[in-house]
Amino acid sequence: MELFPKIGWTLLSLFVAINYGFLINGLIRKVMARIQGRFGPPLWQPYIDMGKLLVQRNSIMHGYMHWLGPIFRSVGGMGVYVLVPVVIGEPRLAGFSDMGDLLLMMYFMFFGSLGMALGAGDAGHPHSPIGVSRGLSQMTAFEMPFILAVVALAAHVGSFDINAIIATQQHGVLSWNLFANPFASAAAFLALLGMNMYAPFNIVGAPTEIPVGPATEYQNSYLSLMMIGRSALAIGKMVMFMDLFLGGAHSIGAAVVKILAIYFWSVFVGAVFPRFRTEQSVRFFLRWPTAFGVAGVLLTQWVR
Amino acid sequence: MFDINHGNLDDSPDVGQEIVRRIHDRFGDFPARFQKADLVRLDVPQKDIIPVLSWLRTETPFVQLTHLTAVDWLEDGQFELMYLVTAPDLMVSLHLCVRLDRAKAEAESVFNLWLQAETYEQEINEMFGIHFPGSPRQGVPFILEGWRDMPPMRRDFDTVAYCDRTHPVRPGREHQDSRVYVGRKFGEKGYLK
Amino acid sequence: MKKFDPDRPWDLTTLPTTMAPQGSRPHAPVEDQCFLGAEADIKQPPKLQEAVATIKNWFRASSLNVLAFGTGCGAIELRPLSTSRFDMSRFGIPGAPTPRQSNVFIISGYLSVKTLTRVIRCYEQMPDPKWVVALGSCTINGGMYWDSYNTIKVLDLYLPVDVYVSGCMPRPEALIAGFQYLMDDVKKGKANGWHHYLENLEWYRENQKQVITDWDLPNYNW
Repeated sequence: MELFPKIGWTLLSLFVAINYGFLINGLIRKVMARIQGRFGPPLWQPYIDMGKLLVQRNSIMHGYMHWLGPIFRSVGGMGVYVLVPVVIGEPRLAGFSDMGDLLLMMYFMFFGSLGMALGAGDAGHPHSPIGVSRGLSQMTAFEMPFILAVVALAAHVGSFDINAIIATQQHGVLSWNLFANPFASAAAFLALLGMNMYAPFNIVGAPTEIPVGPATEYQNSYLSLMMIGRSALAIGKMVMFMDLFLGGAHSIGAAVVKILAIYFWSVFVGAVFPRFRTEQSVRFFLRWPTAFGVAGVLLTQWVR
Repeated sequence: MFDINHGNLDDSPDVGQEIVRRIHDRFGDFPARFQKADLVRLDVPQKDIIPVLSWLRTETPFVQLTHLTAVDWLEDGQFELMYLVTAPDLMVSLHLCVRLDRAKAEAESVFNLWLQAETYEQEINEMFGIHFPGSPRQGVPFILEGWRDMPPMRRDFDTVAYCDRTHPVRPGREHQDSRVYVGRKFGEKGYLK
Repeated sequence: MKKFDPDRPWDLTTLPTTMAPQGSRPHAPVEDQCFLGAEADIKQPPKLQEAVATIKNWFRASSLNVLAFGTGCGAIELRPLSTSRFDMSRFGIPGAPTPRQSNVFIISGYLSVKTLTRVIRCYEQMPDPKWVVALGSCTINGGMYWDSYNTIKVLDLYLPVDVYVSGCMPRPEALIAGFQYLMDDVKKGKANGWHHYLENLEWYRENQKQVITDWDLPNYNW
């Protein structure tokens, strides 16, 4: 495919993905409300919030880094999304997956949070660095099992290329890495709980404790940009997990359903668990998920 | 906790009686009032309060300062400081009351016995104007930031006059004296129209 | 140097480290289109202007973030309001933990002078347009605190109030009704207390300084 049509299709797909992320966000609010016995806001409430954030006036900004933080964040999210193939055998929805591998994706996932941390630190509010330090320590903890899982898959396939990993899973449901590499999958799906920052691991923006953590000083347009980046990152991560463990998708419908299933795994876990403290979550990730990751790596070596 | 002269306090059937007996033995015959099964009130002279409190804190189970507050006895020309000291294991409280000279308004700090007394003493200092030499944060505003008047919990502080002077009110509100209202309502003598 | 336009923060040529230095006075934007009746010299035709303002105000009214700052006993009514019995998030009213991200300030009951200082700080840090809901009779005429030495009696001398909810305490239904009035006013572009505050800042400051005797706030809390 030519470069410019590819860019066009990728941007279109990114736009659709961001909208899907918004709708999923609304759905999550609704589902959480129903779990708590409430009615909850309407499904399109994220769009209304977005519109409101765009028409309010910004009253303060704290310098270049503060301004660049949400941009880094959204670039990180979009970077993950454009590197994953959404539908197998559909070059228009494959993004730039032939140009980057898993390591670049993991870099982008880290990059967004790092940029956000720098921007939040520039804001000068004492709650921001607290949230940042909590977030970064939790992040280094869950990167451990996730990297081990990725290494296990790469050792199994012999490549970090995501298309090669998808190609090995096309022999029926049992060839999905979820079943072929159960230990690596367990490690990665436990790490996903930390990545999505739902309840046991939402210490970063712990409401009522440090108000919203790194985003304390961010307002209107910054927040709307962060909303966009967050939904792009969420969908990108879900598509990546779908490609790595659930064998990718052969149609858009299958992709939509699988993304929803993976996302709601962390939402449902979040609905029933209270919050971990930072050291508890670090300890959690460095115990069983890391053990699962090591077991996954050893298992692939043994199978070989 | 074991007392070498009297044996273990936990074993006695009535802890309140027992602790009062020991205080009487050791410090003098302070008037005591047994208010409840788990609450004893003792009126302690000012010179004895710090020895009693230190003894309670170090040698008996009464290790917790639950409350420290003051009362203004305007007619007697005295302030009264009230220390509520609790034995958390036995669930018994001692209520130690000390009268101070109102004109001097100074008392010894118990900050070195209980760290939390710092906040109580700061608040009493702000609200009653009683000074605790040696206590930290004396004179630092606790609730009343920028207060320039008499300490407001003293009974000669005229709240209504201060309020009228400082805080504007919305016109149209009727003020009713509650005593007059109750007198009229129940037809008391002197309050009828 | 060009003036920094807060609505165009991407214009890097005018970017200062903070938008306004500590203590400078904010300007009241008459050209902001959330006033339906404002006389403004904007080139657009009035019909279009009105349509745009209506859409903007609808967005504002449908997503009111309430600052989580309970000042008095009325804050106890906000818990049932946000939990499952009187779920306020179905109107698009979630709580916001920081003033930078909130639009509505509920003054929930009496305000002591010490709290008033913090309330002014938080109120001025909220982004425009912003609204104040005064809850309970303490905010109207002092309520049961009419002779308290440390409690202000009339809230609208110190902050602009858009909706009063009377009662001691008002039930959560009353507060929901107050929010409905506020939403209607925001949609019609009539809830302009924040604009009144900016225009009459000196008058409000004079009143505030009368009760806050050790005034150590800047002229405006950015």
